[in-house]
Amino acid sequence: MSWQFAIALGALRPEGVTGVEIDGTPVALYRLGDEVFATHGICTHALAFLADGFVEDGKIECPLHQGLFDIRTGAALCAPLTEPVKTYAVKVEGDSVYVDLDGAAQGAAADAAASNDGAASATSTRRVVIAGAGQAAAAAIRALRDAGFTGSIDLIGAEAHLPYERPPLSKGVLLGTQQHDACARLRAADLTALAVTAHLNTKAVSIDAGQRIVALSNGETLAYDELLIATGGRARALPIPGADLPGVLSLRTYEDSLALGEALRRAKTVAIVGGGFIGMELASAAVELGCSAVVLEREPGLMSRVMPAPLGRAFRSLAEKHGVEVRTSTSVEAIAQDGARLVVRTNEGSIVADLVVMAVGLEPETALAAQAGCDVQNGIVVDAAGRTSVSNIWAAGDCALHHVEVSGRRVRLESWHNAEQQGAAAGRAIAGAAEAAEQTTLPWFWTDQFGLNIQVLGIPTAADAVARTGDDVAKGSIYRTFDAVTRQLTGVIAFSSPAAIRAGRNELTSGAPFDPASADAVILSNETTQEETMNAPIKMPATSAQLENRTYHWPTEGLTRVPDWVYTDEAIYKREVEKIFHGRSWNYVALEDEIRNPGDFIRSNVGPTPVVVSRAEDGSINVFENRCSHRAAEFCRDLRGNAKEFVCPYHQWSYDLKGNLAGVPFRRGVNGAGGMPKEFKNSEHGLKRLNVTTHRGVVFASYCDDMESFADYLGPEVLAEFEATFDGRTPRVLGHYRHSLPGNWKLYHENLKDPYHATLLHTFLVTFGLLVAGNKSLMLADASGRHGVMASAKSDTTNLAADTKKEMRAYKEGMSLSDPRFMKFVDEFDSPWSVTMITVWPNLIVQREMNTLGIRQIVPTGPNEFIMKWTMFGFEGDDAEMTQHRLRQGNLMGPAGFLGLEDNEAIKFVQDGMISVPDGEHVVELDPGNDGTSDTLISEAAIRGMYRHWREVMEL
Amino acid sequence: MSLALDIRPKLADDRDAQIERVLLRADIDDFNAAYAAALDSQKLVEWSEMFTDDASYVVLSRENHDGGLPVGLIYCEGRPMIFDRAFALEKTAMFAPRYLRHIISNTQVLGIEPDGAIRARANYVVLQVLFDRPDATLHQVGVYHDVFRREPGGLRLAKRHCVYDNLLVPNALCLPV
Repeated sequence: MSWQFAIALGALRPEGVTGVEIDGTPVALYRLGDEVFATHGICTHALAFLADGFVEDGKIECPLHQGLFDIRTGAALCAPLTEPVKTYAVKVEGDSVYVDLDGAAQGAAADAAASNDGAASATSTRRVVIAGAGQAAAAAIRALRDAGFTGSIDLIGAEAHLPYERPPLSKGVLLGTQQHDACARLRAADLTALAVTAHLNTKAVSIDAGQRIVALSNGETLAYDELLIATGGRARALPIPGADLPGVLSLRTYEDSLALGEALRRAKTVAIVGGGFIGMELASAAVELGCSAVVLEREPGLMSRVMPAPLGRAFRSLAEKHGVEVRTSTSVEAIAQDGARLVVRTNEGSIVADLVVMAVGLEPETALAAQAGCDVQNGIVVDAAGRTSVSNIWAAGDCALHHVEVSGRRVRLESWHNAEQQGAAAGRAIAGAAEAAEQTTLPWFWTDQFGLNIQVLGIPTAADAVARTGDDVAKGSIYRTFDAVTRQLTGVIAFSSPAAIRAGRNELTSGAPFDPASADAVILSNETTQEETMNAPIKMPATSAQLENRTYHWPTEGLTRVPDWVYTDEAIYKREVEKIFHGRSWNYVALEDEIRNPGDFIRSNVGPTPVVVSRAEDGSINVFENRCSHRAAEFCRDLRGNAKEFVCPYHQWSYDLKGNLAGVPFRRGVNGAGGMPKEFKNSEHGLKRLNVTTHRGVVFASYCDDMESFADYLGPEVLAEFEATFDGRTPRVLGHYRHSLPGNWKLYHENLKDPYHATLLHTFLVTFGLLVAGNKSLMLADASGRHGVMASAKSDTTNLAADTKKEMRAYKEGMSLSDPRFMKFVDEFDSPWSVTMITVWPNLIVQREMNTLGIRQIVPTGPNEFIMKWTMFGFEGDDAEMTQHRLRQGNLMGPAGFLGLEDNEAIKFVQDGMISVPDGEHVVELDPGNDGTSDTLISEAAIRGMYRHWREVMEL
Repeated sequence: MSLALDIRPKLADDRDAQIERVLLRADIDDFNAAYAAALDSQKLVEWSEMFTDDASYVVLSRENHDGGLPVGLIYCEGRPMIFDRAFALEKTAMFAPRYLRHIISNTQVLGIEPDGAIRARANYVVLQVLFDRPDATLHQVGVYHDVFRREPGGLRLAKRHCVYDNLLVPNALCLPV
């Protein structure tokens, strides 16, 4: 016992941690109530001072990677920690605190751990095999044993090492400050303690999922009950000449890091290809090792695929302040040896360097999973527990996708934290432990650059808006990313400010809209500054700076109020294109009759996006974007026609009738000069093709590849009405109307979900007895609320009650038509209704107004206007008189129709009102308590149903 | 249609025939001026009386016309139906008030049928002024394909098919062309 004075009691932070140094040893002192505890001052995981951490519930959270230690016992409570922190005995005498560096606190974890030895004895016969020996594997093994799994565990690793963590490879290991042992996630001793059989320097080469056998590269096989694929990935290689020259390095393994560190020490200049997190960490390390670095980034900004532009600029300015040269919009085309140096040829000229490092991302190692039959989409598809699509096969870590979509896409989160989370989740699930209801920990990673520890919490996306608290790129700067429309926070990025990350957890999970004022934050423009414009490629300003200051609150009354911004706001419109027209929807594009023969095509649209609908030689119907893969030209200019192929007039790139790229002129150059790169593949440059379906001669397309069937999309009731109109006869086109409409596209849907207006606006109907409020009618809404059918049956008006007539101010007794032929109804359909108007979300209206039949296709062009394309049709087998009748009855509808022109005018009036007197809301209260089907005309229930769906899809 | 060939001045034409043609075209121009005036002053019933009993009045897009597709924005068979259009627009239709100006020009007489019916053609432009904006906009531009017949009161239209070039109708066509 040697008690040493540490500090005055009064100097200890109450309920907090205080750092002191005793005999050169950093010590963290904790004052909890009246008691004082002491631990070693440095985290057992990485070099971080616990005195900078946070005290809560008797635990200290490391500021760097959020590991938790029990303050009283020193026990490591969660990943990334694997070892307890040393504790010291403490005594308080008067106002003095004494610490004994030789004496542990009572009940310390080191003692407790000893008694646990040998707890994992293999008693179950279940066999777990883990292919891949990285961090996810180690996390899975620990979780398996923690959850009480007692079967065998076989670990297969391609490297010579047991699992280790990779973040230090671009940091401490590269700089020589951290050795391999410090990166270990599973040590030799752990193999015994956790009963793991390791097969190192060995790869799993194939899986027999039926027999549950893994074949190894050494010729052996392993039988399994559960197989975890944690194969990680490899550094992406650029397919350019010279990529394999000596002096061109990349980073993935410990050995890579050692070799790279050594090379950086020898080199004077290094060219780093790729300005992502790894690239910038390498630049930071290079500078620290005395090497001058130039970063070459293909995109106009750093990290532009994963971070909004202002953050890319922040990272860029940090690097530039430390002497790193950053060149964006610079594509590396070839590398050549020039004596002892390397010449990097780019689209922006050549750069000479001693060393070239490729940091262009990770390619997930998914071949094994694919061979086993697992669903692989740029990563192995897994659920929250790590299950793949093949039973008894699991996946985790860099090779697996995140289990939920981020901004509508499945992504891989290539981070330490993700490997830990996914590995542990799979381990727990395999062991049969109850799965956590939903993974509540937020994605998180850190990067060390130029002396700053930058932590990123949440999942920012490139499209997010950014607000900054504090100075630009300095210790303590906090950037928050958020959705410009909903104001939901998506990420917190803190520069050497662990407190901000800690606070950010609550901010991100609270769900409250982000208020820049309360965070004392300034919103950063997406626009580049003038200085940046000088040496960076020109980037158009973001859509509208004022949008970023807009907040969107749905009225507290709920669906009975619809705010104007739903109809007038540019950002909302863009989101609709993304989430509705380009989202999970079937969009009408054509009638099959318009493309009867192979080679027939028409121009059409999905939302605002121009597409071509064509019939190929094999009879298939194809829909692809009308945008050349080469230079974006809208190549198809004719409304309709017949073609053998599509040729873009600009450079004569040609496409077949399915949208595949068929020919590129001078692809091989002329006389061996020029031309496309060798590895250019036509198959990778076809037109963007859409998913296509047809139903009863009507063609639909979707940007979504895994759409439900059209029948499921409509639901049984709306489908029945669709099939009552498209009753099996072959539709034949009679002609088109096209008109612009200066109103929001949804107002058209609402017009047809609003039976209330029919007798009030359309005086014609009442005057001539076509529809009155007492008619048998129905406003049908599907279960989702998005589709609808407005239906009515023609009836006799002579018995109409006097007060009903009075209510409808339009009713004029005694008026009649001179030639009533066009009001005749030929009962040709098997339906109780003489009129049905079907709204098929998002862009189709099927009109059956007695015998005049039409498709109306909505083509939005902005929040305040859309184009309506009508395709009027009859059926094969109609005689001349029936066709004439349909044409005559067409006087009711269309932009000059007795009813149609009134709807167009009314919708224009509505938009005019919102533009002239903005920021109001609509009252949609008729038929209270209902937001679905209604059998009264005096109802707005279907409009409310539509907005219920709209808000879900729009996440508003 | 190769009818345009029929009306090229023929060398054999005598002066009387030439004068006959000029007078006929002047008649048609006068008719069109009155037609435009009726529409511009929105006297629609008056307008409907400028058609024969069996007249065909159709407004259709050039897209449909050239593609052999019959659908028209307005599709009237006979004067009663044309009258119904006029009457319904005046009495029941709801649309914003507006001023219209019809300009009819480039009149061509294409030929005269054995029964005396005159086939003719003229270009037209419709300008529209809405009251929420001060400017006139080009609402429709196209060509009339006409057949006239002489009736006791003068020329009447047995057919007027208005084929408009503009692909998009701006919002709605509230009044005839």
